[in-house]
Amino acid sequence: MSMTTRAAVCRAPGQPWEIIELELDEPKANEIRIKFHAAGLCHSDDHIQKGDAPMRMPVVGGHEGAGVVDAIGAGVTRVAVGDHVTCSFIPACGSCRYCSTGRQNLCDAGKNAGTGMFPDGTFRFHADGEDFGGLCVLGTFSQYAVVSEFSVIRIPEDIPFDVAALVACGVPTGWGSAVRAGGVRAGQTVVIYGAGGVGSNAVQGASLAGAKNVIVVDPVEFKREMAGVFGATHTFATAKEAHEFVVETTWGELADHAIITVGILHDQVIHDAIQVVGKSGQVTITAVGNGWIDENPGMLIGYQRRIRGSIYGGCSPLFDVPLLIGLYQAGDLKLDELITRRYALEEVNQGYQDMLDGKNIRGVIIHEH
Amino acid sequence: MRITTRAAIARGPHIGWELVDLQLDDPKAHEIRVRLHASGLCHSDDHITSGDARVRFPMVGGHEGAGIVESIGPDVRRVKPGDRIICSYIPACGACRPCSTGHQNMCVKGLNAGSGMFLDGTFRFHLGDEDLGGFCSLGTFSQYAVVSEWACVPVADDIPWEVACLVGCGVPTGWGSAVHAAGVRAGDTVVIFGAGGVGSNAVQGARYAGAKNVIVVDPVEFKRDMAKFFGATHAFATAQEAHDFVVETTRGQLADHVICTPGVVTEEIVNAAVLMTGKGGKVTITAVGHFDERAVHVHAGLLIGYMREIRGALFGDSNPLYDIPMLLGLYRSGDLKLDELVSRKYRLDQVNEAYQDLTDGKNIRGVIVHEH
Repeated sequence: MSMTTRAAVCRAPGQPWEIIELELDEPKANEIRIKFHAAGLCHSDDHIQKGDAPMRMPVVGGHEGAGVVDAIGAGVTRVAVGDHVTCSFIPACGSCRYCSTGRQNLCDAGKNAGTGMFPDGTFRFHADGEDFGGLCVLGTFSQYAVVSEFSVIRIPEDIPFDVAALVACGVPTGWGSAVRAGGVRAGQTVVIYGAGGVGSNAVQGASLAGAKNVIVVDPVEFKREMAGVFGATHTFATAKEAHEFVVETTWGELADHAIITVGILHDQVIHDAIQVVGKSGQVTITAVGNGWIDENPGMLIGYQRRIRGSIYGGCSPLFDVPLLIGLYQAGDLKLDELITRRYALEEVNQGYQDMLDGKNIRGVIIHEH
Repeated sequence: MRITTRAAIARGPHIGWELVDLQLDDPKAHEIRVRLHASGLCHSDDHITSGDARVRFPMVGGHEGAGIVESIGPDVRRVKPGDRIICSYIPACGACRPCSTGHQNMCVKGLNAGSGMFLDGTFRFHLGDEDLGGFCSLGTFSQYAVVSEWACVPVADDIPWEVACLVGCGVPTGWGSAVHAAGVRAGDTVVIFGAGGVGSNAVQGARYAGAKNVIVVDPVEFKRDMAKFFGATHAFATAQEAHDFVVETTRGQLADHVICTPGVVTEEIVNAAVLMTGKGGKVTITAVGHFDERAVHVHAGLLIGYMREIRGALFGDSNPLYDIPMLLGLYRSGDLKLDELVSRKYRLDQVNEAYQDLTDGKNIRGVIVHEH
């Protein structure tokens, strides 16, 4: 039986988030219905709303979410009704080429992220005869959503929902950018551009992996201060200051890694990152935006530099999400401190304005039921 | 005591190679004088005369060479007079940070490759009052050269000179681009742009590493034919044909690796390479581009969604002291074809003709055989 749910939707690029009532279908085979308790305000949703990233419209926002399994369709094996779960913004089918080779972040089942359509060509959210897709086939800015069982991961019941929501995207994306995609090792020098909801976790990953210097570049003083809490050894307002420090502290050998986790990717930060890494150094790009690599091949060849794109930080969600929750429980990963402000669903536009004003590491929506 | 040596030098871009008699100093500490027997005609030297590479002029050409150690300066330990050696175009001092961590191709003593100046600020080649550097601090387009002992790799008596010289640059650069820098593994699909003196060895490396599909893109029919001889499974004249084939044969999963070893790398090639690479795939760039062109002009979104990687490779990420003897071992066992790389042999005074043949696509590799 279908039900109604309150959700924040975007009807066209540039239009604000709008709170409306949607019809939500029953879960079909291998699908579950989640009652969401918390949803993270990731920059990627803002990229959709601003039109920086293409998306089928209208869309139900939100791809970071945690809640309780409310109903299950036929054939579901990964979770049961009543389980606490967090969502994975990329599903892990467990059987495609990439899931079969330890790269669940590249799962072929993730192909509908930009439409929210289910593999059978249908949608679960509807209003006035119109189909609504959920961002990343999730839609966590809704009180309830129907999602694939491949997109959820069971979590312990004592993990707060607001913290669990962030482990669905921002935390593994940042932490993994340093540990998995970057491959930071003990003793290395790492420069991280942008210390928001993703970059703060890259700082934590680099620090836990034993980097000697974890250097943060962020123009916002509050974020630089928080970066220190998360493990940054040095923070700078500009790339130039960071570059000069790296030259000095490494005696000109430059950094081993540069990790780009800025809010909006642009050409200059890519160029800065390439310049700051030394021989055999790696630039890892995790941000979204209209950024171009624009270099003479000699910049890459002479020092044998590498530029790597990173989605989900190279994490395999079914392994890394529980791992990260375990690190949180052990005190090796700070998650509570990531949450700067909490909002009601109706405050979603204010939440994004606060993000753009540099006031938040991460804002979180607490759903009312 | 100074000796005289005949050499091909470049006085500036766009004026070709000029044959002159140079004065050559005695070797100083940690240096040796080598009597060169063969020198490979690598495209990188042509990048000097074409102006694509910015170097100090005048310069003695040549960075692929093999010969006999004729005399040594004080404190030399790696070789002795009479030893047969290959010149490694990047030295391996064995003590700096890159050498200490398995990256001899990044040895800090390679810093003067573009000037040919020795670390004490002096030069060994002279023409009247003028100092000349050797390319990569070598200068193998000379009958004799003084080089650092760190650039010497001893070679056994059974390796012919014209084969040995190629293992100082083109062979490890290509083979290593596939095996070390890219890290090709059994069952992979690999696309290689450009099947010349470097790309032919990338083909051999990819095939030896067990790639299922070794797909070559080269506009020259002779090179495509030779690529198949070296182990390519498929060869196409254009990137579009190769792309269509890769889509079909991988059922849309695209290639695991694309390796760029054309004579001159362009924005068009780099973007074709990125688009031919699948999820988690890697583009390895080994070729030199025009100095003032930003051939790596790629939208970052193409890297993120599929988690692709673009990396530069120098010397194919090889360690010269390990990989050069190892490659010669593969040659000896029949697993690496080197004789077939040498399309034509030239005298030193034919160097400009040889580079014209390279430009015309007639050679996989031309080799100068020095007269003494």
